Amino acid sequence: MTNLALRKDPYNIVITGVGGQGNVMASRVLATMLVRRGFRVTIGETFGMSQRGGSVMSHIRVSSAAVWSPQIPKGRADLLVALEPVEAIRVLADYGNPSVKSLVNMRPIYPVGVITGEADYPAPETIRKAVAALSETACFLDATAEAIRLGNPIWGNIIMIGAVARLGVLPVNRELFAAVIREGMPASRVEANLRAFAIGEAAVA
Amino acid sequence: MKELLSGNEAIARGAYECGVRFAAGYPGTPSTEIMEAFATYEGVYAEWAPNEKVAMEVGIGAALAGARVMVVMKHVGVNVAADPLFTVSYTGINGALVVVSADDPSLHSSQNEQDNRNYAKFMKIPMLEPSDSQEAKEFIKIAFEISERFDTPVFLRSTTRVSHSKSVVTLEAPKTMEDRTAIRCNAEKYVMVPMNARKRRVEVEKRMRLLEAFAENFPENRMEINDPEVGIITAGMSYHYAKDVFPDYSYVKLGMVHPLPVGLIREFASRVRKLYALEELDPFIEEQVRALGIEVTGKAIFPYTNEFNPGIVEQAIIGHDKILRTLPERQLPLRPPNLCPGCPHRGLFYVLGRLKVFISGDIGCYTLSFMKPLDALHSCICMGASIGMAHGMSKALGEKGRGKVVGVIGDSTFLHSGMTPLLNMAYNHSDALIVICDNLTTAMTGMQEHPATGFTLQGEKTMGVDLAKLVRALGIKSVRLVDPYDLKKTRTVLKEELAKPGPSVVISRRACVLFKREKLSPGKPLRVDPEKCTGCRLCLGLGCPPIAWKKLVGPSGDQKKKGEKQQGIAVIDLNICSGCGLCRQLCKSDAIVEQI
Repeated sequence: MTNLALRKDPYNIVITGVGGQGNVMASRVLATMLVRRGFRVTIGETFGMSQRGGSVMSHIRVSSAAVWSPQIPKGRADLLVALEPVEAIRVLADYGNPSVKSLVNMRPIYPVGVITGEADYPAPETIRKAVAALSETACFLDATAEAIRLGNPIWGNIIMIGAVARLGVLPVNRELFAAVIREGMPASRVEANLRAFAIGEAAVA
Repeated sequence: MKELLSGNEAIARGAYECGVRFAAGYPGTPSTEIMEAFATYEGVYAEWAPNEKVAMEVGIGAALAGARVMVVMKHVGVNVAADPLFTVSYTGINGALVVVSADDPSLHSSQNEQDNRNYAKFMKIPMLEPSDSQEAKEFIKIAFEISERFDTPVFLRSTTRVSHSKSVVTLEAPKTMEDRTAIRCNAEKYVMVPMNARKRRVEVEKRMRLLEAFAENFPENRMEINDPEVGIITAGMSYHYAKDVFPDYSYVKLGMVHPLPVGLIREFASRVRKLYALEELDPFIEEQVRALGIEVTGKAIFPYTNEFNPGIVEQAIIGHDKILRTLPERQLPLRPPNLCPGCPHRGLFYVLGRLKVFISGDIGCYTLSFMKPLDALHSCICMGASIGMAHGMSKALGEKGRGKVVGVIGDSTFLHSGMTPLLNMAYNHSDALIVICDNLTTAMTGMQEHPATGFTLQGEKTMGVDLAKLVRALGIKSVRLVDPYDLKKTRTVLKEELAKPGPSVVISRRACVLFKREKLSPGKPLRVDPEKCTGCRLCLGLGCPPIAWKKLVGPSGDQKKKGEKQQGIAVIDLNICSGCGLCRQLCKSDAIVEQI
């Protein structure tokens, strides 16, 4: 496929969330789409014990020229996709800069300190303000609620990928997604994924 | 054909492409996916051994028969396998033997941060270190070539960043190798009694000299002369970090980290003005370069601990990173890892934590029980240590420790290295209680088979050892079985066994809630009836992800008025509740009910 221009080279994407939300799946799908477009893509992620219900983060670095290291330097993310709102702030504090675009699923997952009442979870308005203050543009959606309506909260990650496509910052679209998902998934799950993607697109429009 | 592969998948692919058809290992992050990926290739034999030492010995046996063998483990697994490895370095390997050691800088999923390059030097075994997936695939092939050419085991060292990162790899057609296996006896070479080992010891040094000469002209030890002002000697992922931020500096990029190409390093040092050794963890390269009488900067500016990233390299060399950030520090709730909703360990450790005993822990998901609110695990050193330590503590405490010392260990970990210490407990009249947390799989690394699951790595049906019978065979007379979803019964059995003199074993059995083969559905999601919840917080003591505390004092005055004492109520997120029912057993006011 032809190589389309990137807004920046390398273009640095962070996908963050909580272990179990489908972070790895989301990064794999987005990266595969970009590989199909002819880009050199590196994904950096860690999984294992520290990710059991803990904070997780995938770095995707996209370039038309070189292979970049799998870790985005601090302060140099271009796009943030957050599957969980507090994780959005956590990542922006480290990787944000005045030109980062943020896409945030607003459904919280409470950490253990909040469960036991020892820590407070910030109010939605506080989160929105913090994310907006740390981003050039910020877009908030309740992907989890949409995914539950669709039948399973796990599809929140694909809804977020649909939203990324609609943002227009990367050369990815529904056709490309469909091609990638058909290859990597049993046919029975393709339809739901396509619907999730469409919901994400609509949420940003 | 090009494909996006993780470093681990690339190692498996490379081994397959170069004709390797035999592999053994034990799961451990960040190495696990190598064996899982390799096992799926056509015509290969791959096995999970009960531990890394066994895997190593299986590998040595196969190599002695003439096979090309890959043995795979995480960094601490090499400690377990170290005994045979030190000596197979003397004997050589007949076929080919490559040991993959996946190190874990930053301890993402490990109990220590050991730098296994030291083993290469210590064992006198050459070591290659790839820096991305394409290299991982190429280097494993080169490792096999070196193994065959020099009759030596070879290490391939990866790190978490290389193993788990994905980049594009060019795939090639797999080679099929002729079968060179046969029974060949050569006692002088393979029987390491002193008289033979003394001779082989000399051969080891000869081999090291040959490998040193090989390293000088090894194409993957690469000199890149750009700006002569700054030269960086590096290897592995650190090379990419440095290239990200300093593309114009000069480099020696080492594909082989042991032995080092001394001549190449001397030449490089003479061609650049300022020389750095850039490496995560130990100053392994730096110390050797300095020993050559070459001035080099390393750990004086680069950290000893944790993995690097481009920013750390930049900061260390030029004193600051290029982007100045003025982001405010924010108070965010921390998010440590936690046991999953419905995890069978939660019930067991909730009960154990309230027995006022010392809980000697082990390696597994259940290690997370050390955290609040469960607060139910008091030590964790290495695989299998729980049992020996519980016994030692119980002996040292004597009467003071009676009924007060418990060792906890998972099923896979018990089979890895828990059997010998349990035998020791029976043999030496122990008084401690051991609990085997049997979730029917190796859960933490992602559901790998082991000798009690009834399946092999390649999905073949096999025997599954009966843990209760095994424990009895080791000499333990009192063996009980509990379901950790039943809090009351679990508590009763644990108390009874603690009260008994002599060693006891309780097997706490319930499949991992994420284990698909068991097709678990513990129950329907539960909810809290806000009318009945008294805000006693008992259920919060489980630290279960779906249960949260909702304060009643909020800006919205329309909430139900409760007595002044009550600060809030518990709420359950039905989307993540597994319906295991532990909270329901704890609730004294019957406020936890099924969803309508």
